[in-house]
Amino acid sequence: MLTLALDTATPRSSCALLEGEKLLGERETKAVSVLAAADALLAEAGFTPADLDRIVCGTGPGSFTGIRIGLAAARGLALALALPLAGVSTLDALREGVPGSLPVIDGSRKEIFTLIEGRPAVTRPEQLAPAPGTLCVGDGAVRYRALLEAAGAEVPPDASELHLVRARFHARLATDFGSAELVEPLYLRIPDAEKALER
Amino acid sequence: MILAIETSCDETAAALIDDAGRLHANVVSSQAELHARFGGVVPEVASRRHLELICPVVQSALDEAKLTFDQLDRVAVTQGPGLIGALLVGISAAKAIAWGKGLPLVPVDHLLGHVAALYLEPVRLEPPFLCLLTSGGHTLLLDVQEHTSLRLLGTTLDDAAGEAFDKGARLLGLGYPGGAALDMLAREGDPGAYSFPVARLDGLDFSFSGLKTALLYAVRGLDSAELERRRADLAASYQHAIVRALVEQTLQAAEKIGARQIAVAGGVAANSELRRALAGAALAPVELCTDNAAMIASAARYLKPLNPPGYLGLDAYASRQLA
Ligand SMILES: [Zn+2]
Repeated sequence: MLTLALDTATPRSSCALLEGEKLLGERETKAVSVLAAADALLAEAGFTPADLDRIVCGTGPGSFTGIRIGLAAARGLALALALPLAGVSTLDALREGVPGSLPVIDGSRKEIFTLIEGRPAVTRPEQLAPAPGTLCVGDGAVRYRALLEAAGAEVPPDASELHLVRARFHARLATDFGSAELVEPLYLRIPDAEKALER
Repeated sequence: MILAIETSCDETAAALIDDAGRLHANVVSSQAELHARFGGVVPEVASRRHLELICPVVQSALDEAKLTFDQLDRVAVTQGPGLIGALLVGISAAKAIAWGKGLPLVPVDHLLGHVAALYLEPVRLEPPFLCLLTSGGHTLLLDVQEHTSLRLLGTTLDDAAGEAFDKGARLLGLGYPGGAALDMLAREGDPGAYSFPVARLDGLDFSFSGLKTALLYAVRGLDSAELERRRADLAASYQHAIVRALVEQTLQAAEKIGARQIAVAGGVAANSELRRALAGAALAPVELCTDNAAMIASAARYLKPLNPPGYLGLDAYASRQLA
């Protein structure tokens, strides 16, 4: 069972190749080059895209454009190769990499994407009230380190791997493999133009 | 067989063309209604919709042509110019399909695509010709000497002609996108009722912003009952001014380069007055003038394909690169 997993929701995107539960390789990449990373992983392991059995895609939250790059690639691949696709939230995957941590993704506009009571949410970093000693990971945790540490949270050093979204964890969490159309992006924000219209 | 994908603005489109240039499918899913309530295309809204539609549109093109992915030889996709976020959805899906099937990818310039609509049935035009490419995003006079290159002779200094149509339509209360509605209304009006200024520029460029301002003042000078009565005349006069500017500069360009053939491409080529005014010109059918993937497929026939993995890092571009 050859699984390709990818997540392009954050600027430091990730792609992983697994055979069964065994990680064959993982690469950090730019979102737009995620398939180049996938190609390199397959080539290193002696496979071609036709050998893939299933795909896992990070659904965000994160950069809207990034999320779409990954999902359009995953859906296109699933469609062309008739493969099942599973979606995994980028927050869940980040947390899976650091058990017990609180994932914090930079949402730009002075906001963060995180889990509040276990659910994906968008909020302002100063409104986050982590339990003392909570380990916060992700590019949002790095960006708002001062705020989070002042609130009693712990943040690993900026260069720590723990802040990176790594696609091997998406593969580990993926369970619902099915039709590509059923895997939806997790934007958490409606477009500004719609917000303006609602006013 | 080439599968082509186009997502540069607010149409999600896929088409299939064979080696002889015959279309086997041309599917266009327009988002116009989605954007109407905003009074213009909202990039984030368009990009979200493209992601929802891209795979269903590709699948319905294959279904329509009774083809499978295994029968494809190449995949083509619009690389730019256009909305970056929108383009990236199409590019990403196209790369994935091509890579998955081990096929070459052909990145296509959107403007080259508009011109290539003229190479399709029923027009079957061949270079050289002078092309007026006029749409919501562009107003260009192009010297087309070969299939794969364009030489710029003139362009708009401000609004595109299609933009001028849409803005005029909005001033006349025709909603968005209102170019087609303005065209309809103009048929009932007198094109000589108002004399709107046509910018006279030295070279082969265009300018439509003054015209839009003139319409604004004309509309402001009327109370609502009068406006209702004069709406068709305003539409007819306004359209006449735009078409006159397009026609005059096109004819001047043709004379300057000694063009024997004139062609019109792009969404504004659907305008009935322009089609009449340039009756001797080559005109693509209306459905191939507005954004579609058939024109991208047509252009791709003449372009060099990229082999995997060479195209896997391909990025979109927002602004005009050719000509
Ligand atoms: Zn166009």
